[in-house]
Amino acid sequence: MKKIGLIIVREYLTKIRKKTFILSTVLFPLLYLALIVGTGYMASKGGRKLNIALIDSSGVFTPDKLGLANISDSSSSIALTTLPADSIKSNFEKLGYDGYIIVPSSASWDKPLPPLSLMTTKTMSMEGSLPVQTKLNDLLRAVKNEKLGIDAEKKTILAQNLVLIPHNVNDLKANSNIASVMGSISAILIYIILLLYGSQVMMGVMEEKTNRIAEVIVSSVKPFQLMIGKILGIGLVCLTQILLWVVFIFVIYNITIASGKVSSMNEVIGGIQQVFTSTNMPLLIFCFVFYLIGGFFFYAALFAAVGSAVNEDMREAQSLSFPLMMPIIFAVATMSVVLKDPSGPIAFWGSIIPFTSPIYMMIRLPFGVPATVPWWQLGLSMVTLVAGFIFTTWFAGKIYRTGILMYGKKPSWKELIKWAFRKN
Amino acid sequence: MSLLEVKNLKKYFATQKAVDDISLSIDKGNIFGLLGPNGAGKTTLIRMITGIFYPDSGEIFFDGKKFDPVNDVGLIGYMPEERGLYKKMKIGEQTLYLAQLKGMSRKDATAKVKDWFVRFGMESWWNKKVEDLSKGMSQKLQFVTTVLHNPKLIILDEPFSGLDPVNSNLIKDEIFRLAANGSTIIFSTHRMEQVEEICNRIALVNKGQKILDGTIKQVKQDFKENLYSIGADSLPDTTGNEPYEVIGKKEQNFIVRIKPNDKPNDVLQYLLQQGVSISSFNEILPSLNDIFIKLVEGTETARQFQNIKN
Repeated sequence: MKKIGLIIVREYLTKIRKKTFILSTVLFPLLYLALIVGTGYMASKGGRKLNIALIDSSGVFTPDKLGLANISDSSSSIALTTLPADSIKSNFEKLGYDGYIIVPSSASWDKPLPPLSLMTTKTMSMEGSLPVQTKLNDLLRAVKNEKLGIDAEKKTILAQNLVLIPHNVNDLKANSNIASVMGSISAILIYIILLLYGSQVMMGVMEEKTNRIAEVIVSSVKPFQLMIGKILGIGLVCLTQILLWVVFIFVIYNITIASGKVSSMNEVIGGIQQVFTSTNMPLLIFCFVFYLIGGFFFYAALFAAVGSAVNEDMREAQSLSFPLMMPIIFAVATMSVVLKDPSGPIAFWGSIIPFTSPIYMMIRLPFGVPATVPWWQLGLSMVTLVAGFIFTTWFAGKIYRTGILMYGKKPSWKELIKWAFRKN
Repeated sequence: MSLLEVKNLKKYFATQKAVDDISLSIDKGNIFGLLGPNGAGKTTLIRMITGIFYPDSGEIFFDGKKFDPVNDVGLIGYMPEERGLYKKMKIGEQTLYLAQLKGMSRKDATAKVKDWFVRFGMESWWNKKVEDLSKGMSQKLQFVTTVLHNPKLIILDEPFSGLDPVNSNLIKDEIFRLAANGSTIIFSTHRMEQVEEICNRIALVNKGQKILDGTIKQVKQDFKENLYSIGADSLPDTTGNEPYEVIGKKEQNFIVRIKPNDKPNDVLQYLLQQGVSISSFNEILPSLNDIFIKLVEGTETARQFQNIKN
């Protein structure tokens, strides 16, 4: 036991002191923030302002209405013109237009309009032309309102829609929107951590093997102790990193509160606050830590086995670890299925089988316990995960013992399984 | 009294009888040479003695008791042939870590490491990393980490590979010193001249079996071929009656083989009678190298794979 402690401490300290750990701990939240703020910023600032000429011989669109529309929606500018299409076509640059639209003379406000063409010199996407379409529709609606005698008051009455919010009779607190967001975030976090730290375990074992220190160490401790020590050490590093992230979020939250600015940051954190009130947070946090650690143990042992079996070659490690990553990637890729139907059969089985349960269960849990996930399912899932990682650790230990001292050809998974199940 | 006793040890792998019924006994304070061609089973044998592998059958007694891998590994220092250290770890820390894994307390280990670093002139290495060291330097460090915890049994697999003559001598002297202080040393190598220089007993292993065991002196006696070197200007013409036959000539010396029924004295007497002036007369004992080659020759250079049913 004392020796495992030594191994854990060494593993933990070397990893924590590495520059990559410090960088990733600080940079990950910053990058994440930059991503949220940056995409919002780019969406609002991005895109060119289109200058469109409207050739309307029907008289549906009037200049005064167009002027109002251009003021209220400045994402594009539309101007009526009497110039013939051919002269615009040949003088785009000089006139300063990006494109033109011809409204047929037969058009009328009370009849459906045929599809109009936006003629431009550059090929435009649907997304690029959408603001112009919205603007013209608004214009048309204004014309129709006027002709039909609908004033502002009637307009607001017409605009009133009903809103449908799903609620679970067994758990009125659960909010499916917040649940979806929380489920996806926890699932993606677990996914990143499993892959990142799983491969760290694999690389660590490979390092020991290729440095040829493995045999020196296993003459002092059992190979199994070395493997467990490494997994626990790296697991602690992982928990430390998450803890630091939580502290960062907490600090940033308090700073923004103190500065009193309403920024996009603040909204994000305000959202977090809402999450705390609308879900069973203590249970969720407990389950998150449980599934994170459980999933990590489940996979880390297998990654260690792969690391022990291969030699210096990274490609060998990749091809052998690919089958391990498959279920993790699969679980994240099929996330939307679970989000759509968090109590369906796929969600159920996926959250019982330990290969996918850390991710699937974390998607389902925010939808409410016991309303969406009955207690017995949560219990069963936890038991299978614990049983699963006990099995993979045992299984990996057998492979590790043989692999760590074996040099030469890369074994296949078939051979690895043989190593695990032969006596001694 | 024997420190290590190995009885009918067997370890079969899927395609090889790596160790096939080997028994050995090594006395306390001995420097024991474990010899054998590549793939003879030396490493497997050593791995069983160090508790890395469990034998399929057979018994190991360590220091009079049945070998207990969990507790006895602290009394063994093993420097494997495939050895290495953590490249990115600081040397001082790494040495302490390895010593603590052997069961030493941090305080004892620190004192010991400092002691050894001074002895080997490595004081300035403490905060360096292993990747900064040359091959020879890291070899010295590896030796220190192997013997640091004062093991009763030290197993060295090719300890001199990569060392220059000065550092080789340094390590050699330490080996003698450790043996004089009561440590028992198992020394595995292919370099026969080192074995002759360092070991007092040897065992030769081939194809998983022990084919020779004894003191170097005894082994040489067993394999001698009655060859003598005679320093003389010339030998009398061959008549067929002389008690020897001439095998060859090396510089000023004649190499002769004494006939089975004659003794060295008969040869001297005969030569003196013939009026030969003799400047030297020496017995030629076979070198370990010759014995090794003679015994191992004829077996395939690479061990063949076989199917083992167990």
